[in-house]
Amino acid sequence: MDALISQYIDPYYLRILMLIGINIILALGLNLITGVTGQLSMGHAGFMSIGAYTSAILSMQMGSPFFLSLLAGAMVAAFFGFLIGIPTLRLEGDYLAMVTIGFAEIIRVFFLNFEPGGKAVGLSGIPQNTTFVLVWTLVIIIIILNAKLLSSRIGRAFYAIRENEIAAEASGINSTRLKVLAFTAGSFLAGLGGGLYAHYMYFIRPQDFAFMKSIELLNMVVLGGMGSIPGTILGSVILTLLPEMLRIVAEYRLLFYGALLVILMIFRPNGLLGDVRVYDIKKKLQGKKVGLWQSSN
Amino acid sequence: MIWQQLLNGLTLGSTYALIALGYTMVYGIIQLINFAHGEIYMIGAFVGLFLVVNTGLNIGVALLGAMAFCMVLGMLVELIAYRPLRGRASRLSGIISAIGVSIFLSTLMVLIAQTNTRRYPDIFNIQTFQVGDLQVSSLQVIILVVATLLMIGLQLLVQKTRVGKAMRACSQDLEAAYLMGINVNRIISFTFAIGSALAAAGGVMVGIYYNAVWPYMGTMAGLKAFAAAILGGIGSIPGAMIGGLTLGVLEILGVAFLSSSYKDAIAFGILILVLIIRPQGIMGQKITKKV
Amino acid sequence: MRFRGKAKWALLVCLVMVFSIVAGCGGNGSTSDKSKDQDVIKLGFLGATTGSVANYGIPGQKGMKMAIEEVNKNGGVLGKQLEGVYQDNKGDSTEISTITTRYITRDKVAALVGDPCTGLTKIAAKIAQENKVVIFSAGATGNGVVEIGDYVFRNTLLDKFAVPSVVDWMVNTKGWKNIAVITSLNNDYSVSLTPVFKDAIDKQGGKIVIEESINDEETDFTAQITKVKKAKPDVLVFTGYYREAALLMNEAKKQGLDINLIGGDGLYGQDLAKLGGKAVEEKVIFYCGFSFSGDESNPVSEKFLADYKAKYNEEPDMFSAQYYDAIMILAKAMKDANSTDPSVYKNELAKLKDYPGVSGNTTFRADREPIKSPICLITVKDGKLTLLDKIPLNIE
Repeated sequence: MDALISQYIDPYYLRILMLIGINIILALGLNLITGVTGQLSMGHAGFMSIGAYTSAILSMQMGSPFFLSLLAGAMVAAFFGFLIGIPTLRLEGDYLAMVTIGFAEIIRVFFLNFEPGGKAVGLSGIPQNTTFVLVWTLVIIIIILNAKLLSSRIGRAFYAIRENEIAAEASGINSTRLKVLAFTAGSFLAGLGGGLYAHYMYFIRPQDFAFMKSIELLNMVVLGGMGSIPGTILGSVILTLLPEMLRIVAEYRLLFYGALLVILMIFRPNGLLGDVRVYDIKKKLQGKKVGLWQSSN
Repeated sequence: MIWQQLLNGLTLGSTYALIALGYTMVYGIIQLINFAHGEIYMIGAFVGLFLVVNTGLNIGVALLGAMAFCMVLGMLVELIAYRPLRGRASRLSGIISAIGVSIFLSTLMVLIAQTNTRRYPDIFNIQTFQVGDLQVSSLQVIILVVATLLMIGLQLLVQKTRVGKAMRACSQDLEAAYLMGINVNRIISFTFAIGSALAAAGGVMVGIYYNAVWPYMGTMAGLKAFAAAILGGIGSIPGAMIGGLTLGVLEILGVAFLSSSYKDAIAFGILILVLIIRPQGIMGQKITKKV
Repeated sequence: MRFRGKAKWALLVCLVMVFSIVAGCGGNGSTSDKSKDQDVIKLGFLGATTGSVANYGIPGQKGMKMAIEEVNKNGGVLGKQLEGVYQDNKGDSTEISTITTRYITRDKVAALVGDPCTGLTKIAAKIAQENKVVIFSAGATGNGVVEIGDYVFRNTLLDKFAVPSVVDWMVNTKGWKNIAVITSLNNDYSVSLTPVFKDAIDKQGGKIVIEESINDEETDFTAQITKVKKAKPDVLVFTGYYREAALLMNEAKKQGLDINLIGGDGLYGQDLAKLGGKAVEEKVIFYCGFSFSGDESNPVSEKFLADYKAKYNEEPDMFSAQYYDAIMILAKAMKDANSTDPSVYKNELAKLKDYPGVSGNTTFRADREPIKSPICLITVKDGKLTLLDKIPLNIE
């Protein structure tokens, strides 16, 4: 199957399609935390690096089979997601954002000092086991599971926490448990994406998972539309393609990229496919003019 | 050595505080993490450098020039990138817009000034005093004093003047302030102008002190300033000062007594601990959530 | 499900975007037959022109452009003109992977030149090796690069060959025995150079009195310098790049620490003198495979320096020289092999011996590792990087 695909698709597009797939998995994870549950996380790349390094080291130095390394990477990332989910019980909004940034920075510094990971030199020679079919099969499975989750009772509870945590609690939702669950599940996907990334790129280094990577992933979620699965997918596709498409403008590329982010936000303030919620419509009917930011937190 | 290191930490901390003050003001009023703030700081440093090198202006005048330039820039950024979003978008959209501005401004600076790191010319007579074992440079004193004065000035502005009253009203409830006849847009613009001028002042001083100005200096500085503002309790002006100083001292003491390899990890680790113990930051007020 | 209506919409937009990129840039990609007989020889540039490592990519790109112009002025290669293809990779792993693939499949480049960074070079080298295209790194010094395959080359003075001689000079000729070692933790060049220095210092009987680390892109090194000062070393060894070296020396001067700093060819940039000012004057000494000025025995360097200044109105750095040489060496190999097919001319390339380049005399060993001899020690004098001494290279 993969041989067939690589025969018919130009390697350049194939590479971009792979990166899109991996980014969709990563962004869907973040969407669970930030988009759906409303817990602002700016450290998603940190969980990604845990998955990437764990799986790469397992594959290279322990000789564990690919699927096992991948799973282990995702599990370890999920464990750290669980740990970082705990402060969310006390922290809100931007304080939480700071904790996630700090956590991701700590992980980055840890890997900069981590001898088995090659420090800043990075790990090279990771077996390139990630294939097109594997990535896109996983993408489809994850989309389906995500959709199922979000339309379930738990999913609706996630949305409820985002909209109004106190009201959600009052309706009998255990927000503590669910917030930690969202962090754990989101980090699992980040770790999985990281493992796929490592086994695709052949080489990883701590700098690949710096603050800007987290921001890039956050952009995907917000640009597409917070909490919306098609939105997140669209956001990932656009933001993976955009830098490539903007190559026409050569050195002005990042200038356009920055300007486009602003313009898109001005014209689609709730993301391209941001879901219109009852709360917003009510506000609109009330004819608010000077309100600050919509939505929760 | 501890005193020397403490002084190093206080100097570094006051550079963080200078940026964090503007950060926290903007945040206090519109609850936006203004990621472009670091870029304004960077542009302030460049404008100051340009004025000193190309027009041979006195450094004091150059500082004022940089502040004026960034004032206008800050208001423009608010007008173009944030105002259209206000009231129609989620807070996160504001953050993304800010990130867009930040990427735009740093790339613009790269196109104008390339990526080389530049230094301010040696036009100042920096004196070093020897106090016992301690070496104090005049610049360290200036930075510390200026940061403190700015903090006091800001606090007076916010607490004692009419504009300050309006700012406080806006930060408490934008709609109510609007209904009371406050021109909300103008107050927000004003806040951005003040915040950006502070960032520019910080940029010029840091540029002189460390002798390094470059287009990517804003990102890390912005992040550190955000951390400082959060640590102090975001929205609080004395908090930004205390947060900045604490963060600076933590970083330096981390290097001095633990390990320079784990510098940032130590600082962020303590930051997280503080936040877990005191979720509203050192000086922040606990906000009771309303339904 | 809450998104059913929108899912179609999203899918549609995704498809449109994917197709637009396929159609938008795919014009020349599909006609692979034509490109085999291209009337130009394309060379792909790998390096960053934006982002925090652009300082090293931009001069490289300038050197590469200059070399291509010169070759074309002299009649090109095998009757064809050279053409550089330039894409910015921001110093980013995923970007370099897509760019490399794009160069190979879309532009049908005959060779890739770059990247300055070892890690990124490895990503590109892996792709190049799989597609049988020559990659010539003009900066990667770390381990495990040429081991990727027989299409991978580089022309930097390798630290593991140079450092023992330099340390010998430092410890035994100069008598600087108590050494402080400073590493830039997030710089792969620095992290791999430090153990080489430490090994050599141990072997030559030097003593490391303190080890500190900094990070690239930072400006505050007060704490580290205060600590170093207390340890009273005879000399500082800093393994990173020129920007941080200049800032370290500035800080040392501020704290009244009067000391020499020894480093690798990562310090070879004009900004070292500009940024360091008086603080680096005759204080910073670093080794390199060549020296632009003050080295009469290398007229090629002198000429390059003059040409580069005339063209760009600035001083070249190590990367400009190495990218320039890379192009020249590739052109030579293609001429000698009478082919632009990487699988053919790579054999000729591997035979390179005593090539008198701007960046020193280069020979490829059997394992394609470059040997450059002798080593130049360079310092800053009157704001200019000048040759201080030459020491022979001794390889065990």
